[in-house]
Amino acid sequence: MVEISSINIRVVKKVIIHCLVCPFVFNKKQKDKRIRDHTKRGGTMGKTILTAHHITKIFPGMKALDDVDFDLQAGEVHILVGENGAGKSTLAKVILGAYKQDGGEVFFEGEKMEFSGTKDALSKGIVAVYQEFTLVPYLNVAQNIFLNREFISKIGIIDHKRMETEAAALLKSLNCEYINVKSPVKKLSVAEQQMVEIAKALSFKPRIIIFDEPTSALSEREAESLFVQIHKLKKEGIGIVYVSHRMEEFPRIGDRITILRDGKKISTVGIHDCTNVELVNMMVGRDVSQVYVRSENKFTGEALRTEALQDYAGKVKGVDIFVNRGEIVGIAGLVGAGRTELAQLIFGIHSIKSGKVFVNAKEIIPKSPVNAIKNGIGLVSEDRKKQGLALDESISLNIIAVSLKKIFPRIFINKKKINEVALDYIKQLHIVTTSANKPCKFLSGGNQQKVVLAKWLSFDPEIIIFDEPTRGIDVAAKMEIYRLMDRLASNGKAIIMISSELPEVIGMSDRMYIMHEGKMVDECIRGQYTSEQIGAKMLGVGGAANE
Amino acid sequence: MNSLKSRFKALPPVAWMLVIIIIIFSFNSPNYLSFSNFRNILIQSSPLMILAFAQTCIVLTQGTDLSLGAQVGFVTVMTVFLAKRGVPLVVSMIIAVLLTVCIGAVNGLIIAKGHILPFIATFGMQNIVFSIALLLTSGASIYYPSFTYRIVTESTFLFIPMMVWVAVLTFILVWFILKYTKFGTNIRGLGGNREAMVLAGINPTHSLIKTYAFAGFIAGIAGIITLCRVESGQPIVAVGWEFQAVAATLLGGSSLREGKGGVPGTIFGVLLITVVKNGLNIIGVRSIFQNAIIGSIVLAAIIIDAVIRIRSKE
Repeated sequence: MVEISSINIRVVKKVIIHCLVCPFVFNKKQKDKRIRDHTKRGGTMGKTILTAHHITKIFPGMKALDDVDFDLQAGEVHILVGENGAGKSTLAKVILGAYKQDGGEVFFEGEKMEFSGTKDALSKGIVAVYQEFTLVPYLNVAQNIFLNREFISKIGIIDHKRMETEAAALLKSLNCEYINVKSPVKKLSVAEQQMVEIAKALSFKPRIIIFDEPTSALSEREAESLFVQIHKLKKEGIGIVYVSHRMEEFPRIGDRITILRDGKKISTVGIHDCTNVELVNMMVGRDVSQVYVRSENKFTGEALRTEALQDYAGKVKGVDIFVNRGEIVGIAGLVGAGRTELAQLIFGIHSIKSGKVFVNAKEIIPKSPVNAIKNGIGLVSEDRKKQGLALDESISLNIIAVSLKKIFPRIFINKKKINEVALDYIKQLHIVTTSANKPCKFLSGGNQQKVVLAKWLSFDPEIIIFDEPTRGIDVAAKMEIYRLMDRLASNGKAIIMISSELPEVIGMSDRMYIMHEGKMVDECIRGQYTSEQIGAKMLGVGGAANE
Repeated sequence: MNSLKSRFKALPPVAWMLVIIIIIFSFNSPNYLSFSNFRNILIQSSPLMILAFAQTCIVLTQGTDLSLGAQVGFVTVMTVFLAKRGVPLVVSMIIAVLLTVCIGAVNGLIIAKGHILPFIATFGMQNIVFSIALLLTSGASIYYPSFTYRIVTESTFLFIPMMVWVAVLTFILVWFILKYTKFGTNIRGLGGNREAMVLAGINPTHSLIKTYAFAGFIAGIAGIITLCRVESGQPIVAVGWEFQAVAATLLGGSSLREGKGGVPGTIFGVLLITVVKNGLNIIGVRSIFQNAIIGSIVLAAIIIDAVIRIRSKE
């Protein structure tokens, strides 16, 4: 059994962050100082602007919130944590007026609030930056920022020029002046879209901003600049509710943390009054001392190998990798290094320009996912909502989607049997749901991910590629997924794990490849590398890490 | 200059296709490149052009309005029907157009409130409107002679017939609304990201109803133009135009997803369809083959577009 302590993880993160920001070291140090000074004052400057008493919200079949108290001060970052389905988003939505609570009251600046929709909350200056982007793809940046609040000129038409100027000013205040305000948001990168979302929130001149998992789509560097912005907002006396899973972020920005579990409030603590381990324990309600659990496996021969793999888009440039049965191979790299594209090449989503793929030492040409699946390859894709699930369909249908032919080799299907299979996996993977017939869109992120995993497990492929398997899901669900991966490896499956969270890759892989701009720049065996080296390699600096 | 170049590049593939087809026809027939022939093409294309602008608005909301063709026929019939009963012709026209606005609003109401797929709801409406038109005329054409029609069909301004000017004005109206009004922004938003609209405090139901009513209004204008050309009330005058309008819209680069596209592309789409029809007539292709040829061109254009899109992704 190998264990990497949480301290180690933090060190690794710090190194990576440091590497990423090193061109701006000067700036950042000054900023950090300012930030620290400010945090000290933070506690005293706040007067309470929002309080919620005894909030209860009931959904059919479950109590999403049960007698929860919450308060927010001006100029503080109040972090909301909890497992999937703990009620974080529900609480945020009650504050925003998107949901009407079944019990309890919300007070904004001492005044009782009766919101009948987000519009009322907006008019009070309560805005949200959502996890799923709320942008219209073919409207330009300025139009998106001022959606439904377009500037109207004297003659009664939309004043594009003024909107563009104002939008540019907002983006400049976020240090994002490189974003073209005339460009349709469709053409922007995910991180740029996130910044547009934040600019949109700021354009409301808000008193309270609710961030829902804002960094889940950002690279470290972009997250870093987001934190700087959040500190700036704090200074202006804006109260910030920050919903997040990433514990390493908390000390960098938070003032207080409220922990929710199963719709109940467990505790509210100051950021320095509790350790990560305590926090996790409060969230999951049980002792969690080991995060990354790996058993020692025997490798039983090569399952997959690629030779000089290249794609048409130039994202993958001559990649050689191999995976043994019983082995977990991590692929680390920055966003855009070509990791996902590599997985999609092997899985036959994109066509291969040159190079070879071998499965069990036999060459295959992955023309399409159908082909890849026939060869025993499974892909747990990065975007579970778009590529992993049929969101409107039931859990059971999603679970049997790939293995349909395996379960029913003849013409007709049998509802009862589908249900049996589904219930089996729901039990095995602890999927929290009231019924196997519930559409997947009603599940929380972690449970959705489990359904995706169940889909592949029921098909039982020999090679499984996990692309960002733990994105946007909470610690407990993450750990379940880690355990499952370990179990799969013990059973002789070959596993490729792609992840942007370096501690995760280091913690889980037997061997890891480091990818940089489409090329494999390094390969390391478990325990034979330092995190500094990996960080440097990811950036393409090579050799020693530059301190 | 630079922006002109980039604009040139941004032209949908259908624009190039149009040029190529015009060149091909001009080799086949010496009379093809004459001023009067192009004038003819513009006149022929005007009613469909206007209708296609209406369809483009609907397509931008991720819908299709199959009742638009029936609405054109309905306007011709209703106007003549009222005029024959003593209502002044211009007033009858206005009443008929107001009725199509109502038809559009009902379409929107059913689609938005009932969460019914647009093509199903409007297909139902198409049949209803068509039947009413047939009822009013007892199945035949009805006539009301007047010189008012000629103002549109025969008078010219800068050598260009009034009809074409109506199409141009309609284009400017729709383009302007899409670009410079909240309503237009909402139309794009409806197709792009409905959730975002709701969160921004926009009522998607109202916006959808308005959009379909607006499309009804534009279809009404197309109906008046058509009436002036055929000088009679004919229920079947515009059968199938709604599909041609959809084809023209898609040819013009608008997409049934994500609110992509706009009316400028639609102009090329309509011109392509009209040019092909006109050219085939001039070089004497039998009309039985014409539909097949137009169908093939529509498919070809859409496939080319799809291939370009897939290629650019890979």
